[in-house]
Amino acid sequence: MFRQQNNAPFVFNVKNRMRVAGMVILLAPLCIFVRLFYMQTFLYEEFSSKAERAIYNYLAEDRLRGKILDVNGRELAESVRTHSCGVNKRYVQNKNKTVDFLSETLGIPKKRVLEKWNRSSNFFFIAKKIKPDNYIKISQILRTKLGQGLELTPEYERIHPYGESALDLIGASNSKNYGLSGIEQMYNRELSQDISKKRAKRARRGEIIYDRKLKEELSVANVYLTIDAVAQFYTESALKKAVELVGAEHGIAVVQEPKTGKILAAASYPVKDGQSLAFQFTYEPGSTFKTIAISSALDAGVVHITDSIDMSGREWVVGNKVVRDNQHEKDFLSIPEILQLSSNIGAGKIALELGAKNLFYYIKGFGFGTKTDINFNGESKGNLPHFSKWTAVDTATKGYGYGVAVTPIQLINAYSAIANGGTLMQPHIVDRIEYAGGKVEKKSKPVKIRRVLKEETTQIMKKALQSVVEVGSGKRAQITGYNVAGKTGTAEKLSKEGGYAKRSHIVSFCGFAPVSDPQFTVLVILDNPTKYTFGGTAAAPVFKEITERLLAMKGVPPDQLDFEPTPNKR
Amino acid sequence: MRIFVILFILALFGFGIAVMRIEINRSGRTISQLQNEVEIKEARNQYLQLEISRLAGPENITRLAEEKLGLVPAKPHEIVVLEEE
Repeated sequence: MFRQQNNAPFVFNVKNRMRVAGMVILLAPLCIFVRLFYMQTFLYEEFSSKAERAIYNYLAEDRLRGKILDVNGRELAESVRTHSCGVNKRYVQNKNKTVDFLSETLGIPKKRVLEKWNRSSNFFFIAKKIKPDNYIKISQILRTKLGQGLELTPEYERIHPYGESALDLIGASNSKNYGLSGIEQMYNRELSQDISKKRAKRARRGEIIYDRKLKEELSVANVYLTIDAVAQFYTESALKKAVELVGAEHGIAVVQEPKTGKILAAASYPVKDGQSLAFQFTYEPGSTFKTIAISSALDAGVVHITDSIDMSGREWVVGNKVVRDNQHEKDFLSIPEILQLSSNIGAGKIALELGAKNLFYYIKGFGFGTKTDINFNGESKGNLPHFSKWTAVDTATKGYGYGVAVTPIQLINAYSAIANGGTLMQPHIVDRIEYAGGKVEKKSKPVKIRRVLKEETTQIMKKALQSVVEVGSGKRAQITGYNVAGKTGTAEKLSKEGGYAKRSHIVSFCGFAPVSDPQFTVLVILDNPTKYTFGGTAAAPVFKEITERLLAMKGVPPDQLDFEPTPNKR
Repeated sequence: MRIFVILFILALFGFGIAVMRIEINRSGRTISQLQNEVEIKEARNQYLQLEISRLAGPENITRLAEEKLGLVPAKPHEIVVLEEE
């Protein structure tokens, strides 16, 4: 290049000088090019990861959850977007001003902000689940000098607009939005989506730049319950009032639609999220179980409704047990009278007449001793020992509701079978699931499990149970204008020392209305009341209050034939 | 002379690209700011919707009806359902 042709000596002329200058000038970019080539090819991994760390942040994205709604679409649980505020100390320009701002905006004492500041090496969260107003204040200063080093991370908070209402059914989800109990756990898969990590850009001053993709439009489903929020409120408020009035340890009230099996309300008091006693509580039902034993005997044809049962002496010895009736002085009782006066002797004798095997299979047929298909978390199946293990005493005591443990949902479902003409229905708590694409999965189609009683038997039983409310122990459940059927229950609780505790009771009332076309089956249970220790005095009035409000809510017309409405009188 | 013209055109082109980049960045910031505002307003709106749900809930309505208007729940037999003619 620098050698002239024909071996002529190199002449340092202008042309050659420019060539040399050009080469010198090109040498620098060439070096840079070579270096860049080396970096891009051989040091690519190292530099790209450095850049990644400097520009991007990987954030574990909070789970989004679908809504839980009542049958009419009222929100019972919903996730809302909130933010956590973090501090990246490295980027903070003026510590004192930032601390003052955070303390003032978030309402956190300055001392606590400083404590957190000093404890952490670089990054720390100063507040979680901050509300929109505070979020606005912080986000407005993010781009200023004061906001340097502050970060707002989105997260989701589970909110229950109706407070504690139905919280025992809905359950809880944790801070990662994972369902822990109740419906939240049962339908966690539908309500949530998989945890994923999202790449978020970090701006020059340290704040995170969020992508719109972080927003809620994701494929989660909404779960609609069969619960009616208004019915639930009426049930809860009546139950709460009653528990406080009678001084009970806790109370349970359940409302079911007898024809479809749908649960309209299920209340426990005191409320503990995800602990619905309607499914989890097991108890010996006492006299409310007489309905099951007597209807079984009538259905099997071993007794007839016109039969009279011998009560002589109001004392009956069966095996090594003495059964007494102290509430009447009659020598004979008809079957409706056995229910009206809640005679243990009568129910025991009828159970023995039916026999252990038949009684066992009828009880089993009513759904006792088996979990319902609802499969609520912690649901109990109760306790029904096999008839082969029963003695005569066991058979007799089961006739009046001892020696058998049931759950409230089992008992109300059995009463609903009597109310609807003899078919045991599958109880439902979830009405439908609406998926993101608009697909709706119906979950509460009425499902007949089996026929447990003949239609004629249920007609007889309805009249007998109606007489309990009209002239028997359930008078306090009477509702003006409506025929009501039901049965009271007062059961002694099992004692820790063995046997039964004489002063510790579970009182209950289970019934349905209107008898001509039952719309609601209602069960009320009060555990260990200190005042009004009978089902007829403590639980029946609660049944009345709940049923009255439900009948009014649904506009069910009175079914008493001789009833004339007097709208102006109360 | 020709090389200067080419260099000038290249410089102009480079300047144009730089201006465009600045404009893109500026617009990006504006979009980001607006997105932020939309998010804030949406979050606020969601809270307001929940507040509406709470206030329209049976507990609140019943309390207000009883306390402010002196209403009491109607007994079911007092309700007359009118049949369509």
